[in-house]
Amino acid sequence: MAAVTLEAVHKSYGKNHIVRGVSLTVADGSFLSLLGPSGCGKTTTLRMIAGLERLDSGRIAIGGGEVDGPAAHVPPERRGLGMVFQSYAVWPHRTVAENVAYPLERQGLNRSERDARIREALAQVRLEAFADRQPHALSGGQLQRVALARALVGRPKVLLLDEPLSNLDAALKEELRAEIAALRARLGTTMIAVTHDQAEALALADQVAVMRAGVLEQVATPQALYAEPNSPFVAGFVGGANVLDGEVRGGAFVLGGVRLELPTAVGDGPCTLVLRPEDAVLEPTGTLPLAARLFLGATTEYRLQLGDVALRVLGPPHPFAQPGTTVGLTLRAARVFPRELR
Amino acid sequence: MKRSALTAALLAPLVIFALLPLAVLVVRGLRSPDAWGLLVDPATFAALRGTTITSAGAAAIAFGLGLPLGLLLGRTDLPWSRAWRALFALPAAVPPFIFAMGWQLLANPRTGLLNTALHLHVDIYSSTGIAFVLGLSALPLVLLPTLASLEQVDAAWEEAARLAGAGPWRTLRDVALPLALPAAGSGAALAFLSSASAFGVPYLLGVTASPPIPTLTTRIWAQVLLGAHGLDQAGALALWLLGLSTLVLALAQRLGKRGRVSLASGKGARRTRLPLGPSRVAVSATTGLVAFVLVVLPLLVVVVASLQKNFGTFDAFTTAHWARLSHDTRTLGAFGQSALLALGTGVIVTGAGLALAWARSRLGQPFGAVAWLAAWPYAIPGTVLALGLILAFSLDTRVVLFDSVALVLALMNTSWLLLVAFSVRHLALGLRAARDGLERVDRSLAEAARLSGANRLRAFLDGTLPQLRGPLVAGFTLAVLASLTELTMATLLLPPGTDLLGTLLFELMSYADPAGAAVLACAVVAVVLLGQAAIAAAAPRKVAS
Ligand SMILES: Nc1ncnc2c1ncn2[C@@H]1O[C@H](COP(=O)(O)OP(=O)(O)OP(=O)(O)O)[C@@H](O)[C@H]1O
Ligand SMILES: [Mg+2]
Repeated sequence: MAAVTLEAVHKSYGKNHIVRGVSLTVADGSFLSLLGPSGCGKTTTLRMIAGLERLDSGRIAIGGGEVDGPAAHVPPERRGLGMVFQSYAVWPHRTVAENVAYPLERQGLNRSERDARIREALAQVRLEAFADRQPHALSGGQLQRVALARALVGRPKVLLLDEPLSNLDAALKEELRAEIAALRARLGTTMIAVTHDQAEALALADQVAVMRAGVLEQVATPQALYAEPNSPFVAGFVGGANVLDGEVRGGAFVLGGVRLELPTAVGDGPCTLVLRPEDAVLEPTGTLPLAARLFLGATTEYRLQLGDVALRVLGPPHPFAQPGTTVGLTLRAARVFPRELR
Repeated sequence: MKRSALTAALLAPLVIFALLPLAVLVVRGLRSPDAWGLLVDPATFAALRGTTITSAGAAAIAFGLGLPLGLLLGRTDLPWSRAWRALFALPAAVPPFIFAMGWQLLANPRTGLLNTALHLHVDIYSSTGIAFVLGLSALPLVLLPTLASLEQVDAAWEEAARLAGAGPWRTLRDVALPLALPAAGSGAALAFLSSASAFGVPYLLGVTASPPIPTLTTRIWAQVLLGAHGLDQAGALALWLLGLSTLVLALAQRLGKRGRVSLASGKGARRTRLPLGPSRVAVSATTGLVAFVLVVLPLLVVVVASLQKNFGTFDAFTTAHWARLSHDTRTLGAFGQSALLALGTGVIVTGAGLALAWARSRLGQPFGAVAWLAAWPYAIPGTVLALGLILAFSLDTRVVLFDSVALVLALMNTSWLLLVAFSVRHLALGLRAARDGLERVDRSLAEAARLSGANRLRAFLDGTLPQLRGPLVAGFTLAVLASLTELTMATLLLPPGTDLLGTLLFELMSYADPAGAAVLACAVVAVVLLGQAAIAAAAPRKVAS
């Protein structure tokens, strides 16, 4: 178990600056989710922590010792980490047990110690019955758990997970998410998981680091991130909020000739409005055209037209709100950011 | 009705020209008066032993060189790896007996350059020499599948090993090597097969060795030369050769299947390249030296020899032999005859391959067997196939087997039998090209044509066929090149008074006019290189991923 620290880490491929000055501390025993849209440099950051990619500048320390920086580059095999790859990377020429055995072989454990540890690791991911299977005879979820067992068996200081749930279907996703949470509670290992799925990040992590184009936008607890996003980008990405560019005039947000009264007082000027779909309430009378109504089960989604931009609102199934009619809108909560932050 | 007629039309020539000769060979071999005696004859065993030893040696050399080379080219950051790959693949395209000629010039115990100039003591006229030359020719059979299987190795597999505590070289050993091993093993079995089937090299290097090194192919050839009463002995030898090669072929296929790795993985496989670090220069230089000595030097020495006044000496340059050969009617005749035969084979093989592949994709299962039937003659030794054709279409067997069915195909001792032999043998090349092509062509292209109003044939011609150009050109060219330089079957089936490029070259090389042979060899290599260039040009560009 160990803390992980990144200081001003830079990485570029040719002229493309992929990771630009990332500084981050993951406390010993905590779970950090690295969240961001596709191509923002999450995997690259994780691979640098693993030692699979060299830094251009900055430093990385694991458990207090510098593993990468101007003075040192510790190769991946000597960092004492475990990693679950996005493609699982379960070796096709080894059985499940042999896959899990490998880190122990490299640690030089003898056979009986190894067998006990393999059994323990397979039990943790509930794969005891599959020890002698060939990988090609496993399902995606099972391969995933083999990868997890292999990453954990060597008792790593830090467990790295690259999109651990992305290749699974919805039911398996739930199951493995619960499993990872349980493992973490039991083992207390420091974990860093990359994901572009905000629900996954919010559900698992102690801390979420939101990344955008190689830069960390915000690092906070899931609750703080949801309640107080520090930029429209974070709000849009994490809460699925509407992000609208407009203007504040006399306490109301104005866009496309429509006025929306703001719940809190804000000074006049151009701004970006962040409005969560569940923070607005439809009213029977008003001038906003309702473009569509989608039944989602627990709630109903409404698509309103604000000039030429669309606005998403969630709410109960109002009988009055039928596509083609016009409705009104009351904002219960909203955040307003100065325009240039966007 | 229509389907069965089509089946029959495609099947009949295969049965008559591919299955029947082998059936005749086997039946006759087992039913001849002294079948058992001939099978266990000491001379037969000596030949079997010679073939086994030289082929096993060749397979060992191909494996021992091909596997490390594959890891080096496929897994490290060695510069120019594409160029090295092309160079080391060259021996697959150049007939082995041309390499044998080069090595004769280099390693003849008395006059070879290595012995006279470098004062080494190497003798190419030995089992080791035969195995060496055959093994180098078979190197691509190990190298190319090894490289192909290494391409399937996902970088994440290796990175997972690194995270698990393995260093870079340990990772190579524990991940890449086990994954490449079945492909390399299967390639080595194929190397054994191709060496056991070779005729030119063991003839050139084995017959003049002291003591001579008998092999199955050269003994069969000698027996066939004796005429009718040598055929029984030849048949017995051929049965051994057939048995041996079938066994090895089965082994190769088993290993080949094991080597196929397929695992669902999220993102496309990336490749890692192991840094050679400071040893990069030394390793590059060594690779270059090995490539030069093994591939370039033997060909270069043939070119130089063709420009010498007296063959085997290296002092006076002259273009006299080139001038002489370019006016020689026999040479020109052989070129013409070979070209005609090769082009004919190419056309037949491409057309029949396309028909078979199409029938297979449309008619399904029963054609699996047909495809197998079509591929078999390419896998078994040419000597066996040629002998089967001789037996099946010579007068006496025909009477024995078909006295009631008057199947009169007066093919023996005509060039038509050569065309049949080459076509049957190389059908696999045409079939494979057409099948690979068809598999890659999107069905919807033809379906779109159908919906636009084209009938089935029109839709094939307009929608599918244009997409097949690359593979078909490649298949055609491969078949033409293989036929152009074919030697093994040609020596057995050549009608008297005719010359082919391969046989003429061989005749000149073995006694009459080695300098002339060197000129012809250069011409053959040039043609082969042109053909390979044509295949490369016709290949569809790989879509960057
Ligand atoms: N080896 C490389 N060479 C050049 N560019 C690269 C390389 N690896 C990654 N990149 C580029 O770096 C950027 C970030 O890649 P990275 O894999 O870190 O993204 P990611 O955030 O993990 O995205 P995803 O969610 O799609 O996995 C991408 O634009 C990618 O094209
Ligand atoms: Mg990624």
